Amino acid sequence: MSFVYGAQNAWDMLSDEQSQKHITTGSGDLNHILGGGIHCKEVTEIGGVPGVGKTQLGIQLAINVQIPVEYGGLGGKAVYIDTEGSFMVERVYQIAEGCISDILEHFPHSHDKSSSGQKQLQPEHFLADIYYFRICSYTEQIAAINYLEKFLGEHKDVRIVIIDSVTFHFRQDFDDLALRTRVLSGLSLKLMKIAKAYNLAVVLLNQVTTKFTEGSFQLALALGDSWSHSCTNRLILYWNGNDRYAHLDKSPSLPVASAPYAVTGKGVRDAVSPNHKRVRVA
Amino acid sequence: MMSQDQPSTEDRCGRFWNGMELLKDVTEKKHLLPTGLEGIDTLLGGGLRRGHLTEVTGPSSSGKTQVCLHSASLVAAKHLGVVMYLDTSNSFSPSRVATIIDGTPDLFGHKAKGCEIEDVMRSIICESVFDIFALFEVLNQLEISLSNDKVNNGGSKICLLIIDSISSLLAPIIGGKYPQGRSMMISVAMILKKLADEHNLSVLVTNHMVSAGNGAVKPALGESWKAVPHVRLVISRECRSNICTATVLKHTLLASGSTVKFTVPS
Repeated sequence: MSFVYGAQNAWDMLSDEQSQKHITTGSGDLNHILGGGIHCKEVTEIGGVPGVGKTQLGIQLAINVQIPVEYGGLGGKAVYIDTEGSFMVERVYQIAEGCISDILEHFPHSHDKSSSGQKQLQPEHFLADIYYFRICSYTEQIAAINYLEKFLGEHKDVRIVIIDSVTFHFRQDFDDLALRTRVLSGLSLKLMKIAKAYNLAVVLLNQVTTKFTEGSFQLALALGDSWSHSCTNRLILYWNGNDRYAHLDKSPSLPVASAPYAVTGKGVRDAVSPNHKRVRVA
Repeated sequence: MMSQDQPSTEDRCGRFWNGMELLKDVTEKKHLLPTGLEGIDTLLGGGLRRGHLTEVTGPSSSGKTQVCLHSASLVAAKHLGVVMYLDTSNSFSPSRVATIIDGTPDLFGHKAKGCEIEDVMRSIICESVFDIFALFEVLNQLEISLSNDKVNNGGSKICLLIIDSISSLLAPIIGGKYPQGRSMMISVAMILKKLADEHNLSVLVTNHMVSAGNGAVKPALGESWKAVPHVRLVISRECRSNICTATVLKHTLLASGSTVKFTVPS
């Protein structure tokens, strides 16, 4: 009954989707508006003003994707493409420790388990399973994304690719905006293809810009109208007074919604306890 | 306009039709496929017409994919035929489709249950397409299997072809110094219109919007694509709500410029 080779019907896709695990963000409220966490096979764009926690969330996801299967995680590895140089490895170590202490809190009996399970739960182990690429120009960025397909073919246990940020080099050095649009839309299709083919989540961090609409300047994500179509889901992080909020702005399957979250010493968590709040430096 | 039988040589080279035959063909075959979104169906005089290429355009997150998912679900739930869904942005959501089908009564007013939902969902076929060459490949395969009468899905034929979104496949290749991109775009247009016409398909594509200067936006893909769709619909969504506005930019049968508000059910 196939009209086209390789095409799947919606029923089979539904059962595939239902068996998928999602990557937790560390915050239950955030997971809730995202339908359980960051989804594999989709491209999720996360945008927000500087300092709101984009990179923190990026690092958190690179750690959380590694939570072993027996503790409810995906047990995968992460690719982190850093274009801005904001990947602070000491912080990654802290977040890994925070993640491990939360796992041990939720699974108090895991101490009884064999030493091999315990060996996995070391921050060093989490750090070793992040493949980090430092990108210093847009040429390198294009090359890295083109190389990813081969790299992922050789590292099938990678379940998340994070690009922090997709914007930086494309905002600085490009004069020909029409060319930029073409290059970016080509890159976005490649990332879509990778997400689908290797069953992994692609997370793109994006900066904000001001946009003149209806007589006033408003904050919008960078790279223009054309780029805004290049993701499956879009999450916007923003300040509401002194609280951090996330707003799900685009999703094919979930309603638009907002939720508060916090960035603590251990990483991204629910915004419950007031002592987790950081006073915003204006 | 042509019959769904194997076209003979005479058919290929200029079998002419008179007006009465055309009218008969329209009343018998050119049915309207409902989108299930009440406002849009009203605006389009009943839905997406078979044999036509309909384009939905709008800013990011305005509801274009929702129109596609609703149309696919409605056509399948009402057992009108098979839906072919070409997805370029990993946004075909089977759980969303299941929810829509679950809330849709069939032709007899019954709601689908259990195994019925399975049958309905099996008649929506999805394929990911990530570049223009893959699109040519898929359309070519589709044309071959549609022309070959033996290959049909238990008697029911494809009646709706959705491409969400056509513009993300075309954006990397058009513009710049090289004319090849543009000619590939026109080839896609010709193939889609040929499929729609010869196999009585309704084709639904989505297009994104680009800046037209002064903060205004316009549909992407430029002037030569503008002539391609029979129907052009622009939709927008109010900030943080599920109330959308649809406007007819172009329609071969109805007056353009009419606007309607509709709600995307959650």
